[in-house]
Amino acid sequence: MAKKDTIKALVSRDISEEVAELLLTKYSTMSAISAASVEELVEVGLSEDEAEATLSKIGKRAPRAAKAEVPKTKKTVPESKQEPLEEVFSQRVFTQAENKLMEIAERLGISMPMKIISDIAHAIENCDLGDEVHEKLMVTANRMYTSHLMDKNESTGVMAAHSLGEPGTQMNMRTFHYAGVANINVTQGLPRLIEIVDARRIPSTPSMEIPLIGIAAEDESVARHVASEIEVTSLLDIASVETDITNMRLIITPNTRKIASRNLKMEDIVERLNKIKAVRGLVKLSGFQIVITSDEPSYKRLQIMYDAVKNSKIKGIDGVARAVLSKVGGSWKIITEGSNLKEVLKIEGVNANKVMTNSILEVADVLGIEAARNSIIHEAMGTLGEAGLDVDIRHIMLVADLMTNDGQVKAIGRHGVSGKKSSVLARAAFEITAAHLLHAAMVGEVDSLEGVTENIIVGQPVTLGTGAVNLIYTPKKGENE
Amino acid sequence: MMRGITKRIGSIKFSCVSPDEIRRMSATKIITADTYDDEGYPIEMGLMDPHMGVIEPGLRCKTCGCKVDECPGHFGHIDLAMPVIHVGFIKDIKLMLESTCRNCGRIMLTAEQIESRRGDMSEMRDLGGGTIELKNFSKETAKDASNKGVCPYCGTEQIKIKLDKPTTFREVDDNHKLTPKEVRERLERIPDEDLKTLGMDPATCRPEWMVLTALAVPPVTVRPSITLDSGDRSEDDLTHKLVDVLRINQRLRENRDAGAPQLIVEDLWELLQYHVTTYFDNQTSGIPPARHRSGRPLKTLAQRLKGKEGRFRSNLSGKRVNFSARTVISPDPLLSINEVGVPFIAARELTVPVHVNEHNIGKLREIVARGPAPSMENGYRPGVNYVIRSDGRRIRVTDRNAEEVAENIDIDYTIERQLMDGDVVLFNRQPSLHRMSMMAHRVRIMDGRTFRFNLCDCPPYNADFDGDEMNLHVLQSDEARAEARILMQVQENILSPRYGGPIIGAIHDHITGAYFLTHDNPRFDRFEAMNILSKMQGIEIPKPMADDDGNEYWTGRQLFSIVLPNDFRTTFKANICQNCDVCTRENCPFDAYVKIRNGQLLCGTIDAKGIGNSKGKILDRIARDYGSDRAARFINEVTRLALGAIMNHGFSTGIGDEDIPEEAALQITNYNQECIGQVSDLVDSFQNGTLDQMPGRSLRETLEVRVMKVLGQARDEAGRVAGKHLGLSNPAVIMAKSGARGSMLNLSQMAGCVGQQAVRGERLARGYWNRTLPHFHKGDLGAYARGFCSNSYKTGLNPTEFFFHAMGGREGLVDTAVRTSRSGYMQRRLVSALEDLKLTSDGTVRNTVGTVIQFKYGEDGVDPSRTVRGKAIDLDDLFAEVLGDDADKLLGVDDRDIGDDYGSREKDEMEYTEEEEGEDYDDLDTDFEGGGE
Repeated sequence: MAKKDTIKALVSRDISEEVAELLLTKYSTMSAISAASVEELVEVGLSEDEAEATLSKIGKRAPRAAKAEVPKTKKTVPESKQEPLEEVFSQRVFTQAENKLMEIAERLGISMPMKIISDIAHAIENCDLGDEVHEKLMVTANRMYTSHLMDKNESTGVMAAHSLGEPGTQMNMRTFHYAGVANINVTQGLPRLIEIVDARRIPSTPSMEIPLIGIAAEDESVARHVASEIEVTSLLDIASVETDITNMRLIITPNTRKIASRNLKMEDIVERLNKIKAVRGLVKLSGFQIVITSDEPSYKRLQIMYDAVKNSKIKGIDGVARAVLSKVGGSWKIITEGSNLKEVLKIEGVNANKVMTNSILEVADVLGIEAARNSIIHEAMGTLGEAGLDVDIRHIMLVADLMTNDGQVKAIGRHGVSGKKSSVLARAAFEITAAHLLHAAMVGEVDSLEGVTENIIVGQPVTLGTGAVNLIYTPKKGENE
Repeated sequence: MMRGITKRIGSIKFSCVSPDEIRRMSATKIITADTYDDEGYPIEMGLMDPHMGVIEPGLRCKTCGCKVDECPGHFGHIDLAMPVIHVGFIKDIKLMLESTCRNCGRIMLTAEQIESRRGDMSEMRDLGGGTIELKNFSKETAKDASNKGVCPYCGTEQIKIKLDKPTTFREVDDNHKLTPKEVRERLERIPDEDLKTLGMDPATCRPEWMVLTALAVPPVTVRPSITLDSGDRSEDDLTHKLVDVLRINQRLRENRDAGAPQLIVEDLWELLQYHVTTYFDNQTSGIPPARHRSGRPLKTLAQRLKGKEGRFRSNLSGKRVNFSARTVISPDPLLSINEVGVPFIAARELTVPVHVNEHNIGKLREIVARGPAPSMENGYRPGVNYVIRSDGRRIRVTDRNAEEVAENIDIDYTIERQLMDGDVVLFNRQPSLHRMSMMAHRVRIMDGRTFRFNLCDCPPYNADFDGDEMNLHVLQSDEARAEARILMQVQENILSPRYGGPIIGAIHDHITGAYFLTHDNPRFDRFEAMNILSKMQGIEIPKPMADDDGNEYWTGRQLFSIVLPNDFRTTFKANICQNCDVCTRENCPFDAYVKIRNGQLLCGTIDAKGIGNSKGKILDRIARDYGSDRAARFINEVTRLALGAIMNHGFSTGIGDEDIPEEAALQITNYNQECIGQVSDLVDSFQNGTLDQMPGRSLRETLEVRVMKVLGQARDEAGRVAGKHLGLSNPAVIMAKSGARGSMLNLSQMAGCVGQQAVRGERLARGYWNRTLPHFHKGDLGAYARGFCSNSYKTGLNPTEFFFHAMGGREGLVDTAVRTSRSGYMQRRLVSALEDLKLTSDGTVRNTVGTVIQFKYGEDGVDPSRTVRGKAIDLDDLFAEVLGDDADKLLGVDDRDIGDDYGSREKDEMEYTEEEEGEDYDDLDTDFEGGGE
């Protein structure tokens, strides 16, 4: 295991790269680090807090098998001592009318989705109707509801696929939508729809919508401050960097106005820069300038330093290239280009309950699979709605449920759902024909002909719809004669 | 004839064939590479040996004695002089070589490891793990085993194995090449138990079988040779390849037996390997594909199966059928939506099998006696093409033998009767994107040579009549007919499962007609009214009204109410609604408030929102509440009524409709000039650097955004001015406002100003260096230089504008081409992923394995095509039913915004660039047919 791998391992344990490298100046393996004490680590050049945090992270790590079960979110809980997460659970309070209707439903043995009941309750809230009318409403509603139920053995899947695929031909290829007034470019139309069903790790235009809370929601300057916490600020954004060849040093001249607008201090910048490997310990503040003097007189070294410093991140959240304010309904919110849900949720002033990102896999990682499922539905509905196409949400739900069925977001296609089908013939008929057949022969696979494609291939009725039922009629003997 | 399927294939097991089995099942051993002798007879033990089946009519198979079409063909085999590796298994072989000991053949895992692995595997199987999961797991096992340096059983040190693609293995340390023979020997040593640990089933496939010693030769029926007109024989690609294999095999054997130098033998061996490899897959990476003499790469086994034209997708998943027809389509407004007009020439060829029983025998005798082409004197009468005897023999009915065959008909015969009125057929137009692309129709035999159907059926098929062709399939069994009639008939598909609204409904002129009939409630005298109603059957004509002079008349609303169900009630806003701030309801100045009570249209205009496809609220409600029969009748009647009305009124549109007064034109020009001036001001300020930068945008982007905005305003203003001068009496405006065809945007582009042309949503920028066309100065960022068309289609574009417009148009065309393929692939993937899901009887949605995908379909179990705008039930309906007319008062139903409608924005209020593209798409076929510009 080379040094690189160790660093990687450390980073995966949530230890910053700088710290990891510092650690490796003295220790070479993970176990060596974990065996060390806080004091020993401080000697290496870490602050006490950092050392403690590092040790807890390494020590805390369970053996391999357990790792998969620990959701990532838990590991990212604030650096300080772990406190149990506040449980967010608020039961919806039923209105009086709703309670009444539910009572009736229970009495009459009617089971209807809550949505219908509360819709009715909402509509009759302000009128004075007798009990009898209430009852009649429920009975009639139930009759209507049951008559609208889907038939058994209906091929819901094909219906959903058609309903999503057919409007695809009416969509546009290159439409971009500018989210709000903020001028953030978001892919729309067919490419976006394909992206959603492909379950791409990173969407082509990741974007977030971050509603603010508290004073940040009301006050523009506070909101701007929050935005500056989120948006990545690189050194070049706020300062000019010069190379002083004669003295072998870099001179950084920050723009005071820009610094102020981003709530930065010179000291912050120095501190940040000092953490960069190439220039560690060389950064000095001198008046209104920051000077980095090279530790060895070599042009190459100077160039390396320049490159390292130039695009270094001074502030903000990785991945968020731009954060723009926009006022919706009287409160401020931030719209970003680039997405990093995990980090944004930690920022103060952000309404963490309402933050949205269009990166579905990120939602799955941070908030879990149910959230990812809702995210798929939300994104797909939004994309179709934007194109002015009407698709029933049930179809999209089915697709989303299929994609998230086994706890991971699976793509629709060869690498996801279709590639995992149980039937050899169905897989062979979809893509990569030869490989599937050969493997089936090797392991002696049995195709039990339960799906659609397989049965079409062998020339039998399929097992959906009218093909799903079997009626056997034995005529009584002599009846026909 | 069709007595149902008596036997069902329960399952199919895949396995490898051992060399022994190949030899055992072989009909003959193949030794000569020659195929036919000089007389043209197949050579014994050659590749065309008649033991392997026959392809020439008249000859008999030497193995089973059957003739062509009866003999399924028999495999032969080639004994390979030296073993060769099967390319398809190369990765698996490598994994096995790596994970087992090179000396003792045991898998290099300790007993405990094996135990736990096996335990995990059986647990996975018990929990319903699929092949794919098991495959990945076995792969991991093999990987784990291959990391060992020393065999835990015999202690032999292992040597890493490298795969030289495609088929050569090398031991890394001394670069020693492992011959297939050595590979085979190693694989032979692996014990059965260890194979199970690696996920293989030793009963169906031993690894050494993956190194071939005998090659199965497919039957000649699989690789038929064709005789060309010139008398030359042309062999199948597979035969060519087998010839190569045989030749090399022969040479290899001779050289080996003669004790030729090792080098030569090895070269030949490798050549044999190459030929066998390409015989299996001619697209193996790393080796040049084997080619035909003409230079075309050969289509060998893998190529036959793979891809869109391969066996799986083109012959197994989709099959060619008999009893089908295809021809051009044309419209016929007098047919019911459930009917299809079939030309009698086609009907004479298409047949329905009728089983003869004691009740119909007399009638059938009569039909058979007519022969295959009865006289057309009394119109079309079905004849009979074939009679199938109870023993399965087919008798062709001709004019000569008709009488005689009719005499001999007996119970249990089946006759193939020609198509006649009322038969159920399936009608389809490709691309079949949704289930409404294939619907069941009733046949109407007609003159002519085209299929005809009602215009209302165009939207579900996405058909037009610019040369489109459609397919027709005649159903052959009673079950099929019953299913088709109940599930697939057009009237059962009026409501689309995509959005729960009607997809079949009035289009184009129907809507304009309904508008003329009902808008501002015109009066019709007896002559006019009867003219309008004359095409309708079985209607009750309401009592006429009388004006002050005593002249009787009917109002348009009265006439429209004829087609409504008696107790029909609804309220909605018509398409022509101007969305006023305060709705005056019944007193709407535009007559856009539609109110129907007790089947009488009380006020309002019927247009696209009333009866149009996808928007029609009346249609929607009838289809849902009154059943499909009533809905079909309503559509048939309302379209006839509307056509009567439009024919009574007369309707035409032309370029003259876009005439606007001179002062309006001047106004538009002036405003355009003003905007263009603003643009140049913006450009100036950009160049001076005085332009205010927008947050998060570069200066240049800011300029573009501002310019686009100004020019957008210019076009909108032109549209507004033009719209003001094109009143509601203008036919084109009537079409646009009533939702029949076209939009106000189309009109404003024709009458006012075409507007900014865009490519990729931006102003045009490409072409020459720093400019779009040589007509402009370099670096010109002004309106004209970047694709603004200030002229209208009517005044005509100037040359630069024309060019820019073509650029925008081209993008639209490219876009359509790209889109169809991309969305097609997306749909294929979606269907493949979702096809197996079904709603089981416990209300859950499951796949074939039984995994629950949804516990309740769509969270409420409601069929989307039965929903009301996506909602499980319609509250307004509920209250109307329970509370009666009090509902409105009690709950203020009318005060609530009257429902949003389906796809209200569909095609309507899209961005202008999109609109343009959308329209281009619609007109694409037309342009094509017309020979282009």
